[in-house]
Amino acid sequence: MPRLARSEWYDLTRDMNWTLSYVTEDQVWPDDLSHGYGFPTEEWWTWDEPYKITYPEYVHNQAGKDASVYSINAVVNRSKLFEQLDPGWKSAIIAHYGAIAIPEYVAGIGEARMGRFGRAAAWRNMAMYGTLDETRHGQIQSYFPYTLLDKEPRMDWAHKAFHTNEWGAIAARSLFDDMFAANDAVSTAIQLTFTFETGFTNLQFLGMAADAMGVGDLEFSALISSIQTDEARHSQQGEPTMKILVENGKADVAQKLIDHMFWRSWKVFSLLTGLSMDYYTPLEHRRHSFGEFMDELINKQFLDQFRDLGLEKPWYWDDQYQKEQQWLHHAYHLGVWFWRPTVWWNPDAGVSPRERDWLEAKYPGWNDSFGKYWDVITANVRADATENTLPETLPIVCNMCHIPVCTPAGYNAGFLDSPDPHILDYRGRRYTFCSEPCQWIFEQNPARFQGHQSIVDRFLAGQIAPSLRPDFEGGTITTTHLAGVLEYMGVSLEEAGQDATDYAWAFEERDPAVVEAS
Amino acid sequence: MELIAIQACVDGDFVLNMVPVLTDDTMEEVGKKIAHHSVNRRVAPQDKPLGVRFQGVTMPADATVESAGIGAMDVVYAFYEA
Repeated sequence: MPRLARSEWYDLTRDMNWTLSYVTEDQVWPDDLSHGYGFPTEEWWTWDEPYKITYPEYVHNQAGKDASVYSINAVVNRSKLFEQLDPGWKSAIIAHYGAIAIPEYVAGIGEARMGRFGRAAAWRNMAMYGTLDETRHGQIQSYFPYTLLDKEPRMDWAHKAFHTNEWGAIAARSLFDDMFAANDAVSTAIQLTFTFETGFTNLQFLGMAADAMGVGDLEFSALISSIQTDEARHSQQGEPTMKILVENGKADVAQKLIDHMFWRSWKVFSLLTGLSMDYYTPLEHRRHSFGEFMDELINKQFLDQFRDLGLEKPWYWDDQYQKEQQWLHHAYHLGVWFWRPTVWWNPDAGVSPRERDWLEAKYPGWNDSFGKYWDVITANVRADATENTLPETLPIVCNMCHIPVCTPAGYNAGFLDSPDPHILDYRGRRYTFCSEPCQWIFEQNPARFQGHQSIVDRFLAGQIAPSLRPDFEGGTITTTHLAGVLEYMGVSLEEAGQDATDYAWAFEERDPAVVEAS
Repeated sequence: MELIAIQACVDGDFVLNMVPVLTDDTMEEVGKKIAHHSVNRRVAPQDKPLGVRFQGVTMPADATVESAGIGAMDVVYAFYEA
């Protein structure tokens, strides 16, 4: 049987576009699910992916990847490798699995939507590979932690987290619903694959794989590398979609979609990756700070792509985003550590004298701005007053990103003009936002967001533990209230986060040689 | 008398806390309730009285939440007086 070169048949088999005859375009591609912006059908047919692959190639490649990474899992699990990992690193991967494993499955829904409602056959073809990719990522990131359950019971949060009302899960679910579970095909291509994957996770996964290898976590390194190779391919659906919007006079639409989702992605990225890089990864294995990583990789790449496509950097880039990079994740880290019973991993304080020196070197002024909070905490730990290092209320949570409002930290560190949050009274309800862009996103489409209640809204509405509401009398919240909140979040007392090193960092003394030299 | 939640912290803290107060609480009581969640947790204690600031104005110590016009989910700060 004669065999043709791939280039001779690829376009023919890929471009299965046809002219509709007995149904309308709107019936096949309704705007809620597809959104064609009124462009002629043939315009969408110019969609062309930069990375070509055929189904036999795809299956061959994926089978090889799975064989490789599952064999590493099988070998590593017979060793003592996991037990020997640094406690902070373990926390980073427990947090990662809970925040990412099930959302990967959900991303498969977004990919499948593009696979059905994308406006070009080439795009639908590409998205079907993406659907299979994301299904694989959901499976692999559920299975690997499952195999670690006998060593770390909280690995079950890989499957559990997304189904709970734990505050971080609410934040992740809100983001991913907005980005792909409840999004049309065009917006998903731009917001999931271009903004989130090309912008953040593709490079993050490269960095995480290298970091994992550095700390000796061969399994996680192999897993993340394997996933990244898929992402590098399917994330390229965004660029051709944006090109069509730009070429047909809708650059403003593409710009708004990016501005919206870059900001939301940044918030969760800061929460997960910022903590992992600057506090949880062992000091000797940190290759760069989170700030350096953002500057050298994420920001540079993104600005280059904006320029290439004739778009502008997001309107908040200089005044908001660049400044938040200097302080936001330090505030989030402090909050996660302080409210540690509300998370499913053990936060690593990461503020021993040596680590504080590193933070000061990477973020000049850290000791004056953030070290002072840790001074009070350290004094309480040393005085055996750890009850003062635990919360007795909830922090106020942003009604867009659903992460605590840390504006006072930004103000104290000199990056904001005011400690005030952004308040919006809209249709009889008060909304609180942590930043101008979070409020801007809400105001672009209030109907999309107005019904959502933050964990604080739910508490105040009596939804979390209605019977506890009268106990508010006297204006204090008791441990009973907080136990009710933890129960609502699905966090049992056995699972509730504790300090990762049992406060060892608080008792470390500064190296006398360093003290003398300074 | 009504129970309301306000968004509050002591100056120098890093986050806004949900602080329940009663509408007939005086500012002195409000200051203490705000401080409970900030001072000696992340803000170093000082041997000074606490004032309360709302919409940029320091409230009289004997003003109540209601007379000061503080409503549910308003932003209120406590601070150590000079």
